Amino acid sequence: MKGSKTTKKTGKVTPELLRTAKELGYSDYQLARLWNASEEQVRALRVKWGIVPVFKTVDTCAAEFEARTPYHYSTYEEENESVRTDRKKVIILGGGPNRIGQGIEFDYCCVHGVSALREEGFETIMINCNPETVSTDYDTTDKLYFEPLTLEDVLNICEHERPDGVILSFGGQTPLKISGSLEKAGVPILGTSPEGIDLAEDRERFGALLRRLKIPHPQYGTASSVDAAIRAAEQIGFPVLVRPSYVLGGRAMEICYTPDAVREYMKKAVDVSPDHPVLIDRFLEDAFEYDVDCVSDGTDVMIGGVMEHIEEAGIHSGDSSCILPPVILSEKSLQEMIGYTVRMAKALNVIGLMNVQFAMKEGVIYVLEVNPRASRTVPFVSKATGIPLAKVAARVMVGKTLKQMGLDTFDFRTVKYTSVKEAVFPFAKFPQTPVFLGPEMRSTGEVMGISEDYGMSIAKSQISAGNTLPLKGTIFCSLNDSDKTEFGLGIARDFHRLGFRFVATEGTARFLTGGGVPCGHVFKVNEGRPNVVDMIKNGEIHLVINTPMGETSRQDEYSIGWAALEHKVSFITTLSAASAAVRAVQAQRAGALTVKSLQEYHLQNGKSR
Amino acid sequence: MPKRTDIKSILIIGSGPIVIGQACEFDYSGTQSCRALRQEGYRIILVNSNPATIMTDPEFADATYVEPITPEFVERIIEKERPDAVLPTMGGQTALNTAVALAESGVLEKFGVELIGAKLDAIRKAEDRELFKAAMDRIGLQSARGGFVNSLEEAFKIAESIGFPLIIRPSFTLGGTGGGTAYNIEEFEEKVVHGLTASPIHQVLIEESVIGWKEYELEVMRDLKDNVVIICSIENFDPMGVHTGDSITVAPAQTLTDKEYQTMRDAARKIIREIGVETGGSNIQFAVNPRDGRLIVIEMNPRVSRSSALASKATGFPIAKIAARLAVGYTLDEIPNDITRLTPASFEPTIDYCVVKIPRWDFEKFKGVDDTLGVQMKSVGEAMAIGRTFKEALQKALRSLEQGRFGLGADGKDPVEVRSLPETERAEWRKRVLDRLKKPKPGNIFLLRLGFQLGCTVDELHALTAIDPWFLYNIKQLVDFEDELASVTI
Repeated sequence: MKGSKTTKKTGKVTPELLRTAKELGYSDYQLARLWNASEEQVRALRVKWGIVPVFKTVDTCAAEFEARTPYHYSTYEEENESVRTDRKKVIILGGGPNRIGQGIEFDYCCVHGVSALREEGFETIMINCNPETVSTDYDTTDKLYFEPLTLEDVLNICEHERPDGVILSFGGQTPLKISGSLEKAGVPILGTSPEGIDLAEDRERFGALLRRLKIPHPQYGTASSVDAAIRAAEQIGFPVLVRPSYVLGGRAMEICYTPDAVREYMKKAVDVSPDHPVLIDRFLEDAFEYDVDCVSDGTDVMIGGVMEHIEEAGIHSGDSSCILPPVILSEKSLQEMIGYTVRMAKALNVIGLMNVQFAMKEGVIYVLEVNPRASRTVPFVSKATGIPLAKVAARVMVGKTLKQMGLDTFDFRTVKYTSVKEAVFPFAKFPQTPVFLGPEMRSTGEVMGISEDYGMSIAKSQISAGNTLPLKGTIFCSLNDSDKTEFGLGIARDFHRLGFRFVATEGTARFLTGGGVPCGHVFKVNEGRPNVVDMIKNGEIHLVINTPMGETSRQDEYSIGWAALEHKVSFITTLSAASAAVRAVQAQRAGALTVKSLQEYHLQNGKSR
Repeated sequence: MPKRTDIKSILIIGSGPIVIGQACEFDYSGTQSCRALRQEGYRIILVNSNPATIMTDPEFADATYVEPITPEFVERIIEKERPDAVLPTMGGQTALNTAVALAESGVLEKFGVELIGAKLDAIRKAEDRELFKAAMDRIGLQSARGGFVNSLEEAFKIAESIGFPLIIRPSFTLGGTGGGTAYNIEEFEEKVVHGLTASPIHQVLIEESVIGWKEYELEVMRDLKDNVVIICSIENFDPMGVHTGDSITVAPAQTLTDKEYQTMRDAARKIIREIGVETGGSNIQFAVNPRDGRLIVIEMNPRVSRSSALASKATGFPIAKIAARLAVGYTLDEIPNDITRLTPASFEPTIDYCVVKIPRWDFEKFKGVDDTLGVQMKSVGEAMAIGRTFKEALQKALRSLEQGRFGLGADGKDPVEVRSLPETERAEWRKRVLDRLKKPKPGNIFLLRLGFQLGCTVDELHALTAIDPWFLYNIKQLVDFEDELASVTI
């Protein structure tokens, strides 16, 4: 048995051994771990011994014919087939494998960045390792390196290509992770500096900046013990949003309404330590949320678009549906948001794209989060307005100004139609997982509905998302107490007026009947038979409006959600989405389905601009 | 044959939102086909509801419809734009299903729109498992035993005649939603009921289990002159029973003898001809019984697929782009290879390196979900790496995944450091690792390393996982070399 013998160090590493290790694909990081050294030390030794990768060409013919397309991969061999040109060149780092929260949107941004820089006369070099993407099509860029996006692999390419600049802000979070180390290694970074990125990401520093700029933000704190967390939450005021600062195993964030809930959360969050504290934010309940995407060139800031979330605060922005231009936002509040955005872009010295998430509660605008990079919503905004934001940003990063492009006075509100983005979820693939939305993002994709009519845009987005709304029939409604409001009643009345019938469990039935909406009674799952799940299975329910009531009735809600999913019954979990759904049904009943191309929509905007 | 001049405008159908089983590989194929066909001078009309795609950028088509991909909406678009042809093979199952619905309802005929890329008959033969089985019988190829049922009673009859374990596959669902494996009658009943509900036509296929067999895919293209080329062979590291989308896959195939590979190639040519895909790419899946070499055909996709995106990146041969050109009448010998520019597309690609793809999952976002991998795809993304050897490509792919790993272990992220593990705890760990390896799960590749470190043999791990011994030997060799590395200092 080996084991004890191999822990004994029998000698020093030789160039031959190191070379073999590299040929077998070992990373500097692994070697550093095995030798109790730092990654830099391994790299330095490797370079000293001349053990550096060569780049081979993917040529379809095993080198039998000469290849013309520069599509490369690294390996440890003799001959280098990647020829460095004398052209001005920019490397763009891609987003790596798709995952929930980072997907195709970043491929879109990379491809746009590349195409703008090619037009500007640069040689464009892409690094990415995701085979599904357009960015790894050798037709997209001048040169493609199909390589991992780790520091070691990226540095190897940078050392070979010696680019004039590297763009990190199009590939989502992936390239940002190595921004500091790349800068330290002397790689020229285009766009917002790693310092600006850090300033936006570091909670303390960013908080201080917002206070200096006099921009409101929700109260926040950190804690690394149960008691400290409860103290912090009490100081901030309930409800609070609690999440780990360091996501290990992806523990979800949670909204806590009581000290007990915080205690429960902390008990589950076993890995909390002073190094990895828990972050606690004031949760702005019932606030409206907004996303802003902008491009800054250092002098001017162009607001690409402001999106209003349809679901209220508490649902991850990637899971929320949103609408552009906003429907309920006042001119005053909009100007305030734009003003804050411009101030922050300047304070962070943003060159290129920036995304801001705002919340509005009782007339006050709060900043929730700022990301000085391409965001998930960039493609949606670009299609909704006709301005290709990622291209504009790429040009700005290589020195063009918004004025030169005639975009310094662009107003996204000149659009003559409404665009709605809706998220798409994989719940049907994962039986037994809760179907209610929360602060943890779970959608895999998105769709867009466009029309001159708000209701029709919603309707189209729902059809595209596979959640086609019924135009008549029976609605099962179950509202939690805080939704038993005049607003909730108004929605029910609208559906009633459209000829829908209602059934509900006891409390909601009483509330609806009391408000003048006739409503039948149906059993909860455990109350008796036939119950609501039976009705769904029998095809007697055509729409479910179920706003979650919390822990006690969760099991009931899951089985209702599951039955609805399985039998393809439209399912709504928030009042605001229900209100949008009424409008969608009205629009579909009023008019025929119409189709229009993006080119036609954008031409309309052009005429008015 | 020169390109067709009797058609002027073409409608391309996209794949809609990113869902598990249908992701941005169809943006890649759609973007390529838009580009290629516009270069040929056709007017391109595009429909896709997904705003995050590159193909829906207004500059890639003459008319871009960000509208729902349903027969109703697409009919409106056809009515308005009057395309001469519709190309349904670039947008995954969504596009194919929509086109079939429009053909069957007479809409295409009404507006004089021709289906190009794949004809209705060929689509039906490939997609309808009953017709497909019959077609395989005709050309003397075997497929898995079993049959289609529309009710639980029929299902029980088949179960009786074949015996357990059985695979349940609902018809016409994305990524096999609602499918599974049943080892006993109770599980069987539950899964058949679930599958019948999930299938839009309330039909499931019950098949003999080929779990543990070796799994392969061939990417094949054919033109109107009946030229057939094999673009790439792909071997699944994980044996049958794990969806290809959830398997580690390797290109080219590594463990076939030349004779076996030639047999598979011949089968692929017969299949694409029999099914009648005249122009374009298809993906054909095979299983090989490791005990007796019996080859069976699993299925065929008469369209570009996830695997064709991978095969394109693995070989440099742009399948979607070439398929789009074939659809408008070109033949393979008339299309130059972009990379060499000297050879035509009828030259089969040859590769002198190894490609490894590894999926990425996001189970932690879905509380209560079983992370065992099976016939229903669960991964949300993937990374690919190229190296001169399987070992190099494997380690590069593992660090490409961006899950905090820097290769096959030895990166400080392993659950246990075997080299410093006290002798007394080794047996316990060995048991734990072997136990975990019984079920295919994300991260099992790291457990294979631990298994070898804890003294397991290739035979032992092969018996447990059915992973081909060749792959296991490679991992074992890495483990042995790691010990050598650990014995020195910097």
